[in-house]
Amino acid sequence: MTDGIRVAALDDVPEGEGIAIDKAIIGTEDNVALLRDTDGGLWALNDTCTHEDASLADGWVEDGYVECPLHSSKFCLKNGEVQGLPATRDTCPHRVEVRDGEVYLFPNQTP
Amino acid sequence: MNVVIVGGGIAGVSTAAALRAGGFDGDLTLVDAGEFPYDRPPLSKDYLTGAKDLGRIALQPPQWYDEQAVRLINRTRVTGLRPGGVELQDGTLLPADRVVLATGGGAARPPIPGCERAHVLRTAEDADRLRAVLRPGARVLVVGAGLIGAEVASSAVDLGCEVVLADPVARPLAAAVGAELAAWLHERHAVRGITTVQAGVESFEDGAVLAGGREEFDAVVLGVGMVPETALAEAAGLRVDRRIVVNTGQVTSNPAILAVGDSARSRDGHWEAAQHDGARAAATILGAPPPPPAAPWFWTDRHGRHVEAVGHMAQADRTVLRGSFADPAFSVFGLRDGLVVAAAAVDDPNAVRAARRMIDRRIPADPARLGDPAVNLRTLLRP
Ligand SMILES: Cc1cc2nc3c(=O)[nH]c(=O)nc-3n(C[C@H](O)[C@H](O)[C@H](O)COP(=O)(O)OP(=O)(O)OC[C@H]3O[C@@H](n4cnc5c(N)ncnc54)[C@H](O)[C@@H]3O)c2cc1C
Ligand code: FES
Repeated sequence: MTDGIRVAALDDVPEGEGIAIDKAIIGTEDNVALLRDTDGGLWALNDTCTHEDASLADGWVEDGYVECPLHSSKFCLKNGEVQGLPATRDTCPHRVEVRDGEVYLFPNQTP
Repeated sequence: MNVVIVGGGIAGVSTAAALRAGGFDGDLTLVDAGEFPYDRPPLSKDYLTGAKDLGRIALQPPQWYDEQAVRLINRTRVTGLRPGGVELQDGTLLPADRVVLATGGGAARPPIPGCERAHVLRTAEDADRLRAVLRPGARVLVVGAGLIGAEVASSAVDLGCEVVLADPVARPLAAAVGAELAAWLHERHAVRGITTVQAGVESFEDGAVLAGGREEFDAVVLGVGMVPETALAEAAGLRVDRRIVVNTGQVTSNPAILAVGDSARSRDGHWEAAQHDGARAAATILGAPPPPPAAPWFWTDRHGRHVEAVGHMAQADRTVLRGSFADPAFSVFGLRDGLVVAAAAVDDPNAVRAARRMIDRRIPADPARLGDPAVNLRTLLRP
Protein backbone atom coordinates (compact mmCIF):
# COMPACT_ATOMS: atom_id res chain seq x y z
CA MET A 1 0.00 0.00 0.00
CA THR A 2 1.30 3.42 -0.94
CA ASP A 3 1.22 6.48 1.27
CA GLY A 4 -1.46 8.07 -0.85
CA ILE A 5 -1.23 11.07 -3.14
CA ARG A 6 -0.89 14.52 -1.65
CA VAL A 7 -3.70 16.50 -3.28
CA ALA A 8 -4.20 19.64 -1.20
CA ALA A 9 -3.50 21.41 2.04
CA LEU A 10 -6.31 21.02 4.56
CA ASP A 11 -6.73 24.80 4.62
CA ASP A 12 -7.55 24.75 0.91
CA VAL A 13 -10.93 23.22 1.75
CA PRO A 14 -13.21 25.58 3.69
CA GLU A 15 -15.64 24.10 6.17
CA GLY A 16 -18.97 23.25 4.53
CA GLU A 17 -17.47 23.37 1.06
CA GLY A 18 -15.53 21.31 -1.40
CA ILE A 19 -12.81 21.49 -4.00
CA ALA A 20 -12.41 19.34 -7.10
CA ILE A 21 -9.19 17.41 -7.73
CA ASP A 22 -8.44 16.82 -11.40
CA LYS A 23 -8.59 13.16 -12.40
CA ALA A 24 -5.43 13.63 -14.50
CA ILE A 25 -3.44 14.28 -11.31
CA ILE A 26 -4.68 11.25 -9.42
CA GLY A 27 -5.42 8.81 -12.22
CA THR A 28 -9.07 8.23 -11.33
CA GLU A 29 -11.97 7.80 -13.74
CA ASP A 30 -13.68 10.93 -12.55
CA ASN A 31 -12.51 14.07 -10.81
CA VAL A 32 -12.66 13.73 -7.05
CA ALA A 33 -14.52 16.13 -4.76
CA LEU A 34 -12.75 16.79 -1.47
CA LEU A 35 -15.49 17.81 0.91
CA ARG A 36 -15.19 19.30 4.37
CA ASP A 37 -18.11 18.67 6.68
CA THR A 38 -19.48 21.17 9.18
CA ASP A 39 -17.81 19.23 12.01
CA GLY A 40 -14.47 19.52 10.23
CA GLY A 41 -14.33 15.96 8.87
CA LEU A 42 -12.78 15.59 5.42
CA TRP A 43 -14.18 13.22 2.79
CA ALA A 44 -13.69 12.38 -0.87
CA LEU A 45 -16.31 11.30 -3.42
CA ASN A 46 -16.42 11.08 -7.20
CA ASP A 47 -17.07 14.64 -8.27
CA THR A 48 -19.76 14.22 -10.94
CA CYS A 49 -23.29 13.83 -9.60
CA THR A 50 -24.76 10.51 -10.73
CA HIS A 51 -27.92 12.30 -11.90
CA GLU A 52 -26.61 14.81 -14.44
CA ASP A 53 -23.20 16.40 -14.66
CA ALA A 54 -23.05 18.81 -11.72
CA SER A 55 -19.85 18.98 -9.71
CA LEU A 56 -20.39 17.86 -6.13
CA ALA A 57 -17.40 19.98 -5.13
CA ASP A 58 -19.73 22.94 -5.76
CA GLY A 59 -22.38 21.43 -3.49
CA TRP A 60 -23.54 22.31 -0.02
CA VAL A 61 -21.82 20.18 2.64
CA GLU A 62 -23.58 19.74 5.96
CA ASP A 63 -24.24 17.09 8.60
CA GLY A 64 -22.59 14.18 6.84
CA TYR A 65 -24.03 14.88 3.37
CA VAL A 66 -23.22 16.85 0.26
CA GLU A 67 -26.22 18.33 -1.52
CA CYS A 68 -25.93 18.56 -5.30
CA PRO A 69 -25.99 22.15 -6.56
CA LEU A 70 -28.36 21.39 -9.44
CA HIS A 71 -31.30 19.36 -8.15
CA SER A 72 -30.46 18.81 -4.47
CA SER A 73 -29.91 15.04 -4.35
CA LYS A 74 -27.90 14.26 -1.23
CA PHE A 75 -24.90 11.91 -1.03
CA CYS A 76 -23.51 10.46 2.19
CA LEU A 77 -19.95 11.68 2.70
CA LYS A 78 -18.82 8.42 4.31
CA ASN A 79 -19.98 5.91 1.74
CA GLY A 80 -21.34 7.82 -1.25
CA GLU A 81 -24.87 6.47 -0.78
CA VAL A 82 -27.52 8.57 -2.47
CA GLN A 83 -30.41 9.74 -0.37
CA GLY A 84 -33.23 11.31 -2.31
CA LEU A 85 -34.20 11.63 -5.97
CA PRO A 86 -33.58 12.68 -8.70
CA ALA A 87 -30.21 10.88 -8.52
CA THR A 88 -30.68 7.12 -8.10
CA ARG A 89 -27.14 5.76 -8.18
CA ASP A 90 -24.62 5.90 -5.32
CA THR A 91 -21.32 7.58 -5.96
CA CYS A 92 -17.85 6.24 -5.26
CA PRO A 93 -16.11 7.22 -2.01
CA HIS A 94 -12.31 7.41 -1.73
CA ARG A 95 -10.14 7.20 1.37
CA VAL A 96 -8.46 10.42 2.50
CA GLU A 97 -6.01 11.04 5.28
CA VAL A 98 -4.83 14.29 6.77
CA ARG A 99 -1.22 14.36 7.96
CA ASP A 100 0.39 17.56 9.23
CA GLY A 101 -2.23 19.69 7.55
CA GLU A 102 -1.74 17.97 4.19
CA VAL A 103 -4.46 15.92 2.49
CA TYR A 104 -3.53 12.51 1.04
CA LEU A 105 -5.93 10.68 -1.24
CA PHE A 106 -6.05 6.90 -1.74
CA PRO A 107 -7.98 6.60 -5.01
CA ASN A 108 -10.62 3.85 -5.12
CA GLN A 109 -9.90 2.65 -1.57
CA THR A 110 -12.93 2.62 0.69
CA PRO A 111 -12.66 4.99 3.63
CA MET B 1 -51.60 -3.95 4.85
CA ASN B 2 -52.15 -3.39 1.13
CA VAL B 3 -51.24 -0.02 -0.39
CA VAL B 4 -51.97 0.88 -4.01
CA ILE B 5 -50.46 4.05 -5.44
CA VAL B 6 -52.18 5.42 -8.55
CA GLY B 7 -49.70 7.33 -10.73
CA GLY B 8 -45.95 6.89 -11.15
CA GLY B 9 -44.72 10.47 -11.28
CA ILE B 10 -42.34 11.89 -8.71
CA ALA B 11 -45.15 12.04 -6.12
CA GLY B 12 -46.15 8.38 -6.51
CA VAL B 13 -42.61 7.02 -6.69
CA SER B 14 -41.56 9.14 -3.70
CA THR B 15 -44.49 7.77 -1.70
CA ALA B 16 -43.40 4.21 -2.47
CA ALA B 17 -39.76 4.94 -1.64
CA ALA B 18 -40.64 6.69 1.61
CA LEU B 19 -42.95 3.85 2.67
CA ARG B 20 -40.19 1.27 2.25
CA ALA B 21 -37.55 3.54 3.79
CA GLY B 22 -39.87 3.97 6.76
CA GLY B 23 -40.14 0.21 7.26
CA PHE B 24 -43.46 -0.51 5.55
CA ASP B 25 -43.53 -4.27 4.99
CA GLY B 26 -46.99 -4.72 3.50
CA ASP B 27 -47.97 -5.18 -0.14
CA LEU B 28 -47.12 -2.19 -2.27
CA THR B 29 -48.38 -1.69 -5.83
CA LEU B 30 -47.73 1.23 -8.15
CA VAL B 31 -50.00 1.59 -11.18
CA ASP B 32 -48.97 3.96 -13.95
CA ALA B 33 -50.44 4.74 -17.34
CA GLY B 34 -47.04 5.39 -18.93
CA GLU B 35 -44.24 3.22 -20.32
CA PHE B 36 -42.54 3.30 -16.90
CA PRO B 37 -42.22 6.00 -14.24
CA TYR B 38 -40.04 8.75 -15.66
CA ASP B 39 -39.10 12.26 -14.63
CA ARG B 40 -40.91 15.20 -16.22
CA PRO B 41 -38.54 18.19 -15.91
CA PRO B 42 -36.20 16.90 -18.68
CA LEU B 43 -39.15 16.76 -21.12
CA SER B 44 -38.69 20.45 -21.87
CA LYS B 45 -34.89 20.30 -21.60
CA ASP B 46 -32.51 17.41 -22.41
CA TYR B 47 -35.25 15.06 -23.56
CA LEU B 48 -36.74 17.63 -25.91
CA THR B 49 -33.39 18.44 -27.48
CA GLY B 50 -32.61 14.73 -27.86
CA ALA B 51 -29.66 14.78 -25.47
CA LYS B 52 -31.36 12.13 -23.29
CA ASP B 53 -33.63 9.22 -24.16
CA LEU B 54 -36.51 7.89 -22.07
CA GLY B 55 -34.37 5.30 -20.28
CA ARG B 56 -32.06 8.06 -19.05
CA ILE B 57 -34.91 9.92 -17.39
CA ALA B 58 -36.42 6.93 -15.56
CA LEU B 59 -37.24 7.94 -11.99
CA GLN B 60 -35.79 4.64 -10.76
CA PRO B 61 -33.68 1.98 -12.46
CA PRO B 62 -35.77 -1.08 -13.48
CA GLN B 63 -34.30 -3.32 -10.77
CA TRP B 64 -35.34 -0.88 -8.03
CA TYR B 65 -38.94 -2.11 -8.11
CA ASP B 66 -37.84 -5.70 -7.38
CA GLU B 67 -35.32 -4.63 -4.78
CA GLN B 68 -37.94 -2.57 -2.97
CA ALA B 69 -40.69 -5.15 -3.47
CA VAL B 70 -42.83 -2.64 -5.31
CA ARG B 71 -45.17 -4.29 -7.80
CA LEU B 72 -45.14 -2.02 -10.85
CA ILE B 73 -48.13 -2.25 -13.18
CA ASN B 74 -47.26 0.02 -16.08
CA ARG B 75 -49.14 0.98 -19.26
CA THR B 76 -52.32 0.57 -17.26
CA ARG B 77 -54.90 3.08 -16.11
CA VAL B 78 -56.88 2.90 -12.92
CA THR B 79 -60.48 3.44 -13.98
CA GLY B 80 -62.25 3.62 -10.66
CA LEU B 81 -61.94 3.58 -6.88
CA ARG B 82 -64.09 0.86 -5.37
CA PRO B 83 -64.76 -0.05 -1.75
CA GLY B 84 -61.74 -2.13 -0.73
CA GLY B 85 -59.67 -1.52 -3.84
CA VAL B 86 -59.08 0.05 -7.23
CA GLU B 87 -60.32 -1.08 -10.62
CA LEU B 88 -57.89 -1.37 -13.53
CA GLN B 89 -58.81 -0.71 -17.16
CA ASP B 90 -59.15 -4.44 -17.89
CA GLY B 91 -61.67 -4.77 -15.07
CA THR B 92 -59.28 -6.34 -12.53
CA LEU B 93 -59.94 -5.28 -8.96
CA LEU B 94 -56.76 -4.67 -6.97
CA PRO B 95 -57.43 -4.93 -3.24
CA ALA B 96 -56.21 -1.98 -1.20
CA ASP B 97 -56.49 -0.95 2.42
CA ARG B 98 -55.08 2.45 1.54
CA VAL B 99 -55.05 4.14 -1.87
CA VAL B 100 -52.69 7.00 -2.70
CA LEU B 101 -53.80 9.15 -5.63
CA ALA B 102 -50.73 10.55 -7.40
CA THR B 103 -52.34 11.26 -10.74
CA GLY B 104 -50.63 14.57 -11.50
CA GLY B 105 -52.22 16.69 -14.16
CA GLY B 106 -52.52 17.46 -17.81
CA ALA B 107 -51.45 20.50 -19.78
CA ALA B 108 -54.07 23.24 -19.88
CA ARG B 109 -55.72 24.13 -23.20
CA PRO B 110 -57.48 27.48 -23.09
CA PRO B 111 -60.83 27.74 -24.91
CA ILE B 112 -59.44 29.47 -27.99
CA PRO B 113 -60.57 28.47 -31.52
CA GLY B 114 -58.19 25.90 -33.05
CA CYS B 115 -56.42 25.30 -29.73
CA GLU B 116 -56.82 21.53 -29.92
CA ARG B 117 -54.25 21.40 -32.74
CA ALA B 118 -51.51 23.06 -30.70
CA HIS B 119 -48.74 21.08 -29.00
CA VAL B 120 -48.66 20.74 -25.24
CA LEU B 121 -45.95 19.22 -23.06
CA ARG B 122 -46.71 16.92 -20.18
CA THR B 123 -45.75 13.42 -21.33
CA ALA B 124 -42.90 11.83 -23.25
CA GLU B 125 -45.30 11.29 -26.17
CA ASP B 126 -46.04 15.03 -26.19
CA ALA B 127 -42.30 15.72 -26.25
CA ASP B 128 -41.73 13.20 -29.07
CA ARG B 129 -44.42 14.84 -31.21
CA LEU B 130 -43.01 18.27 -30.54
CA ARG B 131 -39.41 17.25 -31.17
CA ALA B 132 -40.40 15.92 -34.59
CA VAL B 133 -41.37 19.44 -35.68
CA LEU B 134 -38.59 21.40 -33.96
CA ARG B 135 -36.33 21.19 -37.01
CA PRO B 136 -33.74 23.81 -37.90
CA GLY B 137 -35.47 26.76 -39.53
CA ALA B 138 -38.95 25.80 -38.31
CA ARG B 139 -41.09 28.76 -37.22
CA VAL B 140 -42.42 28.05 -33.77
CA LEU B 141 -44.88 30.01 -31.68
CA VAL B 142 -44.66 29.36 -27.96
CA VAL B 143 -47.68 30.61 -26.04
CA GLY B 144 -46.97 31.35 -22.38
CA ALA B 145 -43.58 32.52 -21.13
CA GLY B 146 -43.72 30.93 -17.69
CA LEU B 147 -41.47 28.05 -16.68
CA ILE B 148 -42.31 25.49 -19.34
CA GLY B 149 -42.90 27.96 -22.19
CA ALA B 150 -39.54 29.63 -21.55
CA GLU B 151 -37.75 26.27 -21.43
CA VAL B 152 -39.39 25.11 -24.67
CA ALA B 153 -38.47 28.40 -26.35
CA SER B 154 -34.86 27.98 -25.18
CA SER B 155 -34.67 24.35 -26.35
CA ALA B 156 -36.24 25.28 -29.71
CA VAL B 157 -33.58 27.95 -30.28
CA ASP B 158 -30.93 25.37 -29.37
CA LEU B 159 -32.41 23.18 -32.11
CA GLY B 160 -32.16 26.01 -34.66
CA CYS B 161 -35.80 27.06 -34.77
CA GLU B 162 -37.06 30.58 -35.29
CA VAL B 163 -39.08 31.27 -32.16
CA VAL B 164 -41.83 33.71 -31.26
CA LEU B 165 -42.77 33.75 -27.57
CA ALA B 166 -46.10 35.32 -26.65
CA ASP B 167 -47.43 36.17 -23.20
CA PRO B 168 -49.84 38.90 -22.17
CA VAL B 169 -47.80 39.50 -19.02
CA ALA B 170 -44.82 41.86 -19.24
CA ARG B 171 -42.72 40.07 -16.65
CA PRO B 172 -43.72 36.41 -16.40
CA LEU B 173 -42.64 34.70 -13.12
CA ALA B 174 -42.59 37.99 -11.20
CA ALA B 175 -44.53 36.44 -8.30
CA ALA B 176 -41.95 33.66 -7.97
CA VAL B 177 -38.66 35.48 -8.46
CA GLY B 178 -39.52 39.17 -7.99
CA ALA B 179 -40.19 41.82 -10.65
CA GLU B 180 -36.58 42.79 -11.36
CA LEU B 181 -35.23 39.29 -11.87
CA ALA B 182 -38.33 38.34 -13.85
CA ALA B 183 -37.70 41.24 -16.22
CA TRP B 184 -34.04 40.28 -16.57
CA LEU B 185 -34.90 36.65 -17.25
CA HIS B 186 -37.51 37.60 -19.85
CA GLU B 187 -34.99 39.85 -21.63
CA ARG B 188 -32.67 36.84 -22.12
CA HIS B 189 -35.08 35.55 -24.77
CA ALA B 190 -34.46 38.51 -27.05
CA VAL B 191 -30.71 38.19 -26.48
CA ARG B 192 -30.98 34.65 -27.90
CA GLY B 193 -32.85 35.93 -30.97
CA ILE B 194 -36.36 35.05 -29.83
CA THR B 195 -39.10 37.51 -30.72
CA THR B 196 -41.11 38.23 -27.59
CA VAL B 197 -44.64 39.53 -28.00
CA GLN B 198 -46.63 40.91 -25.09
CA ALA B 199 -50.04 39.67 -26.16
CA GLY B 200 -52.39 36.75 -25.86
CA VAL B 201 -53.40 34.62 -28.83
CA GLU B 202 -56.96 35.19 -30.04
CA SER B 203 -57.25 32.26 -32.43
CA PHE B 204 -55.23 29.33 -33.78
CA GLU B 205 -57.32 28.95 -36.94
CA ASP B 206 -55.25 29.24 -40.17
CA GLY B 207 -52.07 30.23 -38.34
CA ALA B 208 -52.30 32.27 -35.17
CA VAL B 209 -53.93 35.59 -34.56
CA LEU B 210 -51.53 37.52 -32.40
CA ALA B 211 -52.06 41.13 -31.35
CA GLY B 212 -54.45 41.68 -34.24
CA GLY B 213 -52.27 40.18 -37.03
CA ARG B 214 -52.45 36.66 -38.48
CA GLU B 215 -49.15 34.77 -38.77
CA GLU B 216 -48.14 31.34 -40.05
CA PHE B 217 -46.16 28.91 -37.87
CA ASP B 218 -44.87 25.38 -38.39
CA ALA B 219 -45.77 24.58 -34.81
CA VAL B 220 -47.61 26.16 -31.93
CA VAL B 221 -46.78 25.11 -28.36
CA LEU B 222 -48.93 25.94 -25.36
CA GLY B 223 -47.26 26.44 -22.00
CA VAL B 224 -50.16 27.98 -20.15
CA GLY B 225 -50.48 25.89 -17.04
CA MET B 226 -51.61 22.59 -15.66
CA VAL B 227 -55.02 21.05 -15.01
CA PRO B 228 -54.97 18.68 -12.01
CA GLU B 229 -56.16 15.15 -12.83
CA THR B 230 -59.04 14.69 -10.41
CA ALA B 231 -61.49 12.50 -12.34
CA LEU B 232 -61.03 9.40 -10.16
CA ALA B 233 -61.37 11.46 -7.00
CA GLU B 234 -64.50 13.19 -8.22
CA ALA B 235 -66.12 9.95 -9.34
CA ALA B 236 -65.39 8.51 -5.89
CA GLY B 237 -67.10 11.49 -4.26
CA LEU B 238 -63.96 12.93 -2.66
CA ARG B 239 -63.84 16.64 -1.96
CA VAL B 240 -62.26 18.40 -4.90
CA ASP B 241 -61.71 22.12 -5.17
CA ARG B 242 -59.82 22.33 -8.46
CA ARG B 243 -57.35 19.94 -6.78
CA ILE B 244 -58.08 17.03 -4.49
CA VAL B 245 -58.59 18.50 -1.03
CA VAL B 246 -56.22 16.99 1.56
CA ASN B 247 -55.20 17.68 5.16
CA THR B 248 -51.60 18.18 6.30
CA GLY B 249 -51.12 14.40 6.32
CA GLN B 250 -52.28 14.22 2.64
CA VAL B 251 -55.52 12.47 3.66
CA THR B 252 -58.56 13.22 1.48
CA SER B 253 -62.16 13.47 2.66
CA ASN B 254 -62.14 9.64 2.71
CA PRO B 255 -59.73 8.42 5.43
CA ALA B 256 -58.66 5.38 3.36
CA ILE B 257 -57.58 7.55 0.43
CA LEU B 258 -54.61 9.92 0.33
CA ALA B 259 -53.58 12.25 -2.46
CA VAL B 260 -50.15 13.68 -3.33
CA GLY B 261 -48.42 15.85 -5.91
CA ASP B 262 -49.83 18.05 -8.63
CA SER B 263 -53.32 16.55 -8.35
CA ALA B 264 -53.51 17.39 -4.67
CA ARG B 265 -51.60 20.43 -3.58
CA SER B 266 -53.43 23.58 -2.63
CA ARG B 267 -50.80 25.93 -4.05
CA ASP B 268 -49.10 25.69 -7.40
CA GLY B 269 -46.22 23.41 -6.64
CA HIS B 270 -43.28 21.90 -8.38
CA TRP B 271 -41.19 18.78 -8.45
CA GLU B 272 -39.88 18.93 -4.89
CA ALA B 273 -43.27 19.75 -3.39
CA ALA B 274 -44.62 16.55 -4.98
CA GLN B 275 -41.70 14.62 -3.45
CA HIS B 276 -42.42 16.10 -0.01
CA ASP B 277 -46.10 15.20 -0.35
CA GLY B 278 -45.02 11.60 -0.90
CA ALA B 279 -42.91 11.64 2.27
CA ARG B 280 -45.84 13.06 4.26
CA ALA B 281 -48.30 10.50 2.88
CA ALA B 282 -45.91 7.69 3.79
CA ALA B 283 -45.56 9.05 7.33
CA THR B 284 -49.34 9.15 7.67
CA ILE B 285 -49.70 5.54 6.53
CA LEU B 286 -46.89 4.44 8.86
CA GLY B 287 -48.27 6.42 11.78
CA ALA B 288 -44.91 8.18 11.98
CA PRO B 289 -44.35 11.89 12.71
CA PRO B 290 -44.54 13.94 9.50
CA PRO B 291 -41.29 15.41 8.14
CA PRO B 292 -40.90 19.09 9.11
CA PRO B 293 -42.38 21.62 6.68
CA ALA B 294 -39.92 23.18 4.24
CA ALA B 295 -40.04 26.31 2.12
CA PRO B 296 -41.12 25.55 -1.47
CA TRP B 297 -38.28 25.29 -3.98
CA PHE B 298 -37.97 24.92 -7.72
CA TRP B 299 -35.36 25.15 -10.42
CA THR B 300 -35.60 25.90 -14.09
CA ASP B 301 -33.02 26.01 -16.89
CA ARG B 302 -33.12 28.32 -19.89
CA HIS B 303 -30.55 29.68 -22.29
CA GLY B 304 -27.77 27.87 -20.48
CA ARG B 305 -28.58 29.52 -17.14
CA HIS B 306 -29.66 27.59 -14.06
CA VAL B 307 -32.32 29.41 -12.07
CA GLU B 308 -33.56 28.43 -8.61
CA ALA B 309 -36.08 29.97 -6.26
CA VAL B 310 -37.15 29.20 -2.71
CA GLY B 311 -39.87 30.59 -0.44
CA HIS B 312 -42.51 33.16 -1.29
CA MET B 313 -41.11 36.24 -3.01
CA ALA B 314 -44.57 37.82 -3.08
CA GLN B 315 -44.47 37.99 0.75
CA ALA B 316 -41.30 40.10 0.81
CA ASP B 317 -41.48 43.76 1.75
CA ARG B 318 -37.93 44.44 0.53
CA THR B 319 -35.37 42.73 -1.66
CA VAL B 320 -31.59 42.60 -1.44
CA LEU B 321 -29.49 41.96 -4.52
CA ARG B 322 -26.31 39.97 -3.98
CA GLY B 323 -23.94 40.68 -6.85
CA SER B 324 -25.22 42.33 -9.99
CA PHE B 325 -27.34 41.30 -12.95
CA ALA B 326 -24.22 41.60 -15.08
CA ASP B 327 -22.34 38.99 -13.02
CA PRO B 328 -22.07 35.37 -14.16
CA ALA B 329 -23.86 34.41 -10.92
CA PHE B 330 -26.06 36.47 -8.66
CA SER B 331 -29.03 36.18 -6.33
CA VAL B 332 -31.91 38.16 -4.90
CA PHE B 333 -33.18 37.75 -1.35
CA GLY B 334 -36.69 38.70 -0.26
CA LEU B 335 -37.08 39.83 3.35
CA ARG B 336 -39.99 40.58 5.57
CA ASP B 337 -39.66 41.98 9.09
CA GLY B 338 -35.94 41.17 9.09
CA LEU B 339 -36.40 37.53 8.13
CA VAL B 340 -35.55 35.98 4.80
CA VAL B 341 -38.79 34.74 3.23
CA ALA B 342 -37.55 34.00 -0.30
CA ALA B 343 -34.56 33.93 -2.60
CA ALA B 344 -33.98 33.48 -6.30
CA ALA B 345 -30.65 32.93 -7.98
CA VAL B 346 -29.08 32.62 -11.40
CA ASP B 347 -26.20 30.13 -11.48
CA ASP B 348 -25.78 30.66 -7.73
CA PRO B 349 -27.50 27.61 -6.26
CA ASN B 350 -25.78 27.73 -2.89
CA ALA B 351 -27.28 31.16 -2.21
CA VAL B 352 -30.66 29.45 -2.45
CA ARG B 353 -29.46 26.58 -0.26
CA ALA B 354 -28.37 29.09 2.37
CA ALA B 355 -31.65 31.01 2.06
CA ARG B 356 -33.67 27.85 2.38
CA ARG B 357 -32.03 27.13 5.72
CA MET B 358 -32.52 30.72 6.88
CA ILE B 359 -36.23 30.45 6.04
CA ASP B 360 -36.78 27.00 7.53
CA ARG B 361 -34.80 27.81 10.69
CA ARG B 362 -36.07 31.40 10.93
CA ILE B 363 -32.55 32.79 11.22
CA PRO B 364 -32.59 36.62 11.12
CA ALA B 365 -30.28 38.05 8.48
CA ASP B 366 -28.44 41.37 8.22
CA PRO B 367 -29.36 42.80 4.78
CA ALA B 368 -25.96 44.46 4.35
CA ARG B 369 -24.14 41.16 4.82
CA LEU B 370 -26.65 39.25 2.71
CA GLY B 371 -26.04 41.65 -0.16
CA ASP B 372 -22.25 41.53 0.08
CA PRO B 373 -20.86 38.83 -2.23
CA ALA B 374 -17.64 38.87 -0.18
CA VAL B 375 -19.50 37.51 2.86
CA ASN B 376 -19.74 33.73 2.94
CA LEU B 377 -23.44 32.99 3.38
CA ARG B 378 -22.64 29.99 5.53
CA THR B 379 -21.40 32.33 8.25
CA LEU B 380 -24.90 33.88 8.37
CA LEU B 381 -26.35 30.53 9.36
CA ARG B 382 -24.26 30.31 12.50
CA PRO B 383 -25.72 31.71 15.69
C1 LIG C 1 -42.26 19.68 -19.18
C2 LIG C 1 -42.18 19.90 -17.70
C3 LIG C 1 -41.04 20.48 -17.14
C4 LIG C 1 -40.96 20.69 -15.76
N1 LIG C 1 -39.82 21.27 -15.26
C5 LIG C 1 -39.73 21.46 -13.92
C6 LIG C 1 -38.53 22.01 -13.36
O1 LIG C 1 -37.57 22.34 -14.06
N2 LIG C 1 -38.48 22.18 -12.02
C7 LIG C 1 -39.51 21.85 -11.19
O2 LIG C 1 -39.39 22.05 -9.98
N3 LIG C 1 -40.65 21.30 -11.69
C8 LIG C 1 -40.78 21.10 -13.04
N4 LIG C 1 -41.93 20.56 -13.55
C9 LIG C 1 -43.05 20.23 -12.63
C10 LIG C 1 -42.93 18.82 -12.10
O3 LIG C 1 -42.49 17.95 -13.08
C11 LIG C 1 -44.29 18.40 -11.55
O4 LIG C 1 -44.61 19.24 -10.46
C12 LIG C 1 -44.26 16.94 -11.11
O5 LIG C 1 -44.06 16.11 -12.22
C13 LIG C 1 -45.54 16.55 -10.39
O6 LIG C 1 -45.45 15.20 -10.08
P1 LIG C 1 -46.72 14.28 -9.86
O7 LIG C 1 -46.17 12.94 -9.50
O8 LIG C 1 -47.68 14.93 -8.96
O9 LIG C 1 -47.48 14.21 -11.25
P2 LIG C 1 -47.04 13.66 -12.75
O10 LIG C 1 -45.60 13.89 -12.91
O11 LIG C 1 -48.00 14.32 -13.62
O12 LIG C 1 -47.33 12.12 -12.63
C14 LIG C 1 -48.63 11.59 -12.63
C15 LIG C 1 -48.59 10.20 -13.18
O13 LIG C 1 -49.85 9.59 -12.96
C16 LIG C 1 -50.22 8.83 -14.09
N5 LIG C 1 -51.68 8.71 -14.06
C17 LIG C 1 -52.61 9.69 -14.08
N6 LIG C 1 -53.84 9.17 -14.00
C18 LIG C 1 -53.69 7.83 -13.93
C19 LIG C 1 -54.61 6.74 -13.83
N7 LIG C 1 -55.92 6.93 -13.76
N8 LIG C 1 -54.10 5.49 -13.79
C20 LIG C 1 -52.76 5.28 -13.84
N9 LIG C 1 -51.86 6.28 -13.92
C21 LIG C 1 -52.33 7.53 -13.97
C22 LIG C 1 -49.68 9.63 -15.25
O14 LIG C 1 -49.51 8.83 -16.39
C23 LIG C 1 -48.36 10.14 -14.67
O15 LIG C 1 -47.30 9.24 -14.95
C24 LIG C 1 -42.04 20.33 -14.93
C25 LIG C 1 -43.20 19.75 -15.49
C26 LIG C 1 -43.27 19.53 -16.85
C27 LIG C 1 -44.52 18.92 -17.43
S1 FES D 1 -27.26 16.82 -11.25
FE1 FES D 1 -27.16 16.29 -9.18
S2 FES D 1 -29.19 16.03 -8.59
FE2 FES D 1 -29.33 16.55 -10.68
